Amino acid sequence: MDCNEIRRLLEAATDGELDVAHQLAVEEHLGRCPLCARAVEGIHARRTALQTALPRFTAPPALAEKVRSALRNEGAPVRTSASQSKRADVFPLWRVTGLAASLAMALFVGYTWGGSRVRTQALVDEAVSDHVRSLQANHLMDVASTDQHTVKPWFAGKLAFSPPVTDLAGVGFPLVGGRLERVAGQDAAALVYRRRQHAINLFIWPARREAAPPVTRERDGYNVVSWTDGSFNFLAVSEIPAVELADFAEEIRQATP
Amino acid sequence: MEASVPNEPPSFEQAMLPHLDAAYNLARWLLRHEQDAEDAVQEAFLRAYRAFGRFRGGDGRAWLLTIVRNVCFTQLRRNHPSVVREVFEDDLHGSTFDPGEVNALVWRETKAAQLQLALDKLAPEFREVIVLHEIEGLAYREIALVSDIPIGTVMSRLARARRKLQTELQALARKETTHGL
Repeated sequence: MDCNEIRRLLEAATDGELDVAHQLAVEEHLGRCPLCARAVEGIHARRTALQTALPRFTAPPALAEKVRSALRNEGAPVRTSASQSKRADVFPLWRVTGLAASLAMALFVGYTWGGSRVRTQALVDEAVSDHVRSLQANHLMDVASTDQHTVKPWFAGKLAFSPPVTDLAGVGFPLVGGRLERVAGQDAAALVYRRRQHAINLFIWPARREAAPPVTRERDGYNVVSWTDGSFNFLAVSEIPAVELADFAEEIRQATP
Repeated sequence: MEASVPNEPPSFEQAMLPHLDAAYNLARWLLRHEQDAEDAVQEAFLRAYRAFGRFRGGDGRAWLLTIVRNVCFTQLRRNHPSVVREVFEDDLHGSTFDPGEVNALVWRETKAAQLQLALDKLAPEFREVIVLHEIEGLAYREIALVSDIPIGTVMSRLARARRKLQTELQALARKETTHGL
């Protein structure tokens, strides 16, 4: 592809919206074309400016109650719940985390444009297809248990490492089981959690070969969040909304010492 | 269509209320007015509740945001008919858009207040795609759902919106320099 064709793809490429073949073609071109690479720098500068300067307005606290009471007048079964308003209090904090994550992501994408980015995309693709396959093949679990003390020992002898296993039933993400997976060419533990009728796959594998990049993205309707704590890489994938998956990731982070 | 059937999750409340902030953010940017945005969100939630029987699961946020943006555009058309002119051009020339050159310097030196001002100056249809993509983090496919346009149009509209934003910023920067001198 020549520069003109590449330029038309750059926006979609930096938005993470290209298929793998085109993405690779773009990255290959950028590696040897300083002019197009400079255009990408401009796009990154723009993204950084937009993401740091534009506020995401949050609903005034009174609005939630107004909406609830309007819905109740309409006959909707709506709770006068305190738990919801508590969630709303937590949300801005989460936004900060989210912003930090997107900044980290922007930096990551900005500085390691090339091989790592391809690997990141490959990792996301792989995780999503693992997740989809686990649902389709009805092969979500090899060990079905809501007890972390059953799930954790099950991995012993099957993996060369001992993954941290935490139940999050208390915060609405009950652990339902686990199985073995291959992620990024390594053996990984897949822990399965439930949120309503949806499954969350949490892949855990050692970080010693390569730390997982901090990623928050959506692919084919599935949300993916990944991070590392230095010893282990974590990657959560599910069809639940991005906000809820971020909550889940935050709970796991806090529960993992 | 009553959503109160037990053991039939998710309820309207579970499916839609978590997206209150997303709804408010979109309405606030489109209408550029706090009280108008609150009213629009409230109306959108009522409409969503009445139509919830037609919600087939899936992307609840996109489903709700469609209703929010429709309420907002109705309001804009009623109160500021001059502001809203349908953006036909990019639908007609969807495949021929040229993203142009991104001026890194302009974006590195821009101040937050200038950028917000520049975004406020865009036509609502362009502001909409910027808000959904850059602030709300929606993928092209989700924006296509929310705004009810083809993905190709999402791409071209986003490219044009970004370009217009840069033009506005450059104009604002020029103004500032002139006043500064």
